[in-house]
Amino acid sequence: MARLIPDFAALNPGYQFYQVGGHMLELFPSPTAGPFGRRLKRERGARVPVTVVTGFLGAGKTTLLRHFLRRPEGAGTAVIVNEFGSTGIDDALLRSSSDNVALLGNGCLCCNVRSDLAVTLRRLIADRERGVVPHFGRIVIETSGLADPSPILTTFATDRALGGEFHVEAVIAVIAAPNGLHTIETFAEARRQIILADRIVISKTDIADEDAPPILTRTLRQLNPRACIIEAIAGRLEPQWILAVETREGAAGFMADAAIHTDEIASFTLVEDGPIAWDAFARTMETLVALRGADLLRVKGLLNVAGCAGPVVVQFVQHLAHPPVELERWPDDDRRSRVVFIARNLSERQVKGLLAAVRAVLTPDPALRSPPATARPGAR
Amino acid sequence: MESVNSVLNKSASESVCWNFKLLAHHELAGFGGMGEGMAIQVAKDGRRIMWLAHESAPKNFTGVDVSDPRNPKLVVQTDLPESFMRSNSLELVGDIMAVAYQTQKVGQKPAGFELFDISAPEKPQSIAYVDASGPTSRGVHQLWFCDGEYVHLAAGAPDFKPTHPQDDQFYRIFDVRNLSRPEEVGRWWLPGTREGDGVPPPVRHQAPLLDRGFRAHNTNVYPQRPDRCYLGYIDAGMFVLDISDKAHPKPICQWDNSPPYTGFTHTVVPMFNRNLLIVTDESTSDNASDWPKLVWILDARDERHPVPISTCPMPPVDAYKSRGGRFGAHNIHENTPSPYAWHSEDIVIGTFFNGGLRAYDIANPYQPREVAAFVPPAPAMSPVGSIQLNDCFVDERKVVYTVDRFSGGLYILEMDF
Repeated sequence: MARLIPDFAALNPGYQFYQVGGHMLELFPSPTAGPFGRRLKRERGARVPVTVVTGFLGAGKTTLLRHFLRRPEGAGTAVIVNEFGSTGIDDALLRSSSDNVALLGNGCLCCNVRSDLAVTLRRLIADRERGVVPHFGRIVIETSGLADPSPILTTFATDRALGGEFHVEAVIAVIAAPNGLHTIETFAEARRQIILADRIVISKTDIADEDAPPILTRTLRQLNPRACIIEAIAGRLEPQWILAVETREGAAGFMADAAIHTDEIASFTLVEDGPIAWDAFARTMETLVALRGADLLRVKGLLNVAGCAGPVVVQFVQHLAHPPVELERWPDDDRRSRVVFIARNLSERQVKGLLAAVRAVLTPDPALRSPPATARPGAR
Repeated sequence: MESVNSVLNKSASESVCWNFKLLAHHELAGFGGMGEGMAIQVAKDGRRIMWLAHESAPKNFTGVDVSDPRNPKLVVQTDLPESFMRSNSLELVGDIMAVAYQTQKVGQKPAGFELFDISAPEKPQSIAYVDASGPTSRGVHQLWFCDGEYVHLAAGAPDFKPTHPQDDQFYRIFDVRNLSRPEEVGRWWLPGTREGDGVPPPVRHQAPLLDRGFRAHNTNVYPQRPDRCYLGYIDAGMFVLDISDKAHPKPICQWDNSPPYTGFTHTVVPMFNRNLLIVTDESTSDNASDWPKLVWILDARDERHPVPISTCPMPPVDAYKSRGGRFGAHNIHENTPSPYAWHSEDIVIGTFFNGGLRAYDIANPYQPREVAAFVPPAPAMSPVGSIQLNDCFVDERKVVYTVDRFSGGLYILEMDF
């Protein structure tokens, strides 16, 4: 039977590992699609972009969102609010700014309402299709102040858990300048929000001591060296800073300086100079997920996969892997594979060692090869 | 409390622009009722002209300079000689354009097709006119002209007497290598639809709503298989014809979804590299009374035996059926064999009347996924109160053009998925 992409299959015998549809697609091979399906202009493809706005209680998340929703760029945004407590104050504030506001039930997204989130998202899509809510093109989730973003990201991590419909474009953490340092020092949830963020907004700088923002910035940089940090006065930010797909899909989103954080969480970037065999990477991640999945808080990268024309975006959240996506083109001239790991008690050395071991196993040992017939003892 | 119905009615005014970007909208000088003929010419002076057939009189065809897709400019708009005519379909090769003429009633003239020299886009010059009128003919509904040599038609003829008045248009091939003297070189019709065939006429679909005729619609022929015609045949489904001997076309297969579906097979687009056929129905009744009208994906590994494997998912009928006008499949981008047409075997883009323009990712043909939608607001002067997107075309720059059937004219978009 014909293979989907013969050259690729020859180079990567295990390439079907993440393939949606498996061998049935081989019946109708596409000369323009890659082994991971249609090559996409951008990582999210046609999925609904999701922005997760997180931040500790009173950080100013709602103020930030209200300003965004009032701008033309905020039109067509559906907002999901997760309020810890029974009053839903934030929801009341937001309703005037957006036609679509769904208030999740009492509780915290990270612990007991993940199914609420999935149900709410599915309902929103269904209502959009039925025309009972205005058509929206973006979703913003405002988490409760106590939420750990990891389980929220996990919710989107696979097709089964909404990954086919939605794509998390950015996690934005909001932290208040006046008491931000104290919050970070006191609450593990707040540290986790900062560590997992793609962008960090320092709010309420207008009511903070003059030296508070720079001191807070230094601490934030230590916790998360890869995130962009910006100060916002009274929640005002350029909408592009919230939308900002480019920085996520550019090289910046896939590189991070090594850092060791509190709570035994470290980040580092695995860099490979040459094309990487999909099989080696996939088996390495399979093993890592099996052995240390709970410690993989967020893994994301661009791979130069042997046999693929464009870069392949990979993403893992704990035990779950997003379906890989091949992009139409590289974001810059850098053709190296680079994968950012944010993980607990896991080092770059360990991951590199695992990758090397997998490669070694995948490659037949030359010492065990049969010698040529003429060299065998007794051969004529 | 607002009732569900009132919420749904309110939604009728909602427009959708999902993963498309609207670059421009041109109302075509108030004559924005467009048919199903769209083709791109790049003129000798470098201008890119989109030629559009009108759905009905008084206009014949319109040329629009779309060199800058954000700033389209009307170049020329021509008139039909008779109010009972419609041009509906056109195609072009280089600077030669073929235009179909159909009349409202049999016996009316002129009915046939005309060839134009469009080397000076402002002044199209007639080269030849081919008469297809007759006592039982309404002329030409659709034509295909992509190789510069043959025009493939869904047409009546003066010597063709159908067994049923609705079965008047069949497949005809004209050799136009001598542009000033086109010659018919072949024809094929469904046996039983012409008097004297010696076989019984086909069993008709349920009248009156679903009895739309056993006649030809789209007649696509591609350079990858110049010996094949991919023929939509309305209530007879679709055929693949062997036209290696143009004088004697022979059916290789027929695939017909109706009944139990509601007929009017319109277009067959082969995806040669993938062994797939994309087959569209046409919705022809208002308020979705002929629902469902679909885009079908067929496994064509054995061209003698195509097998449907999926359909492109439609938005819920309840959300659209009361918006006014038709709702359902119609034309798709046909991978027209032109250097100025986009060719894709992973994406299907089609028009669905008040369901707008929709794009589907068929990389996995078993599970087509909608990846983009464009449903503009009802255009001014629309008699049905809704958009009725009728046809679409994608140029090699991936610029998407779509037209409204009644008054909206031309919409130009960019794919954003």
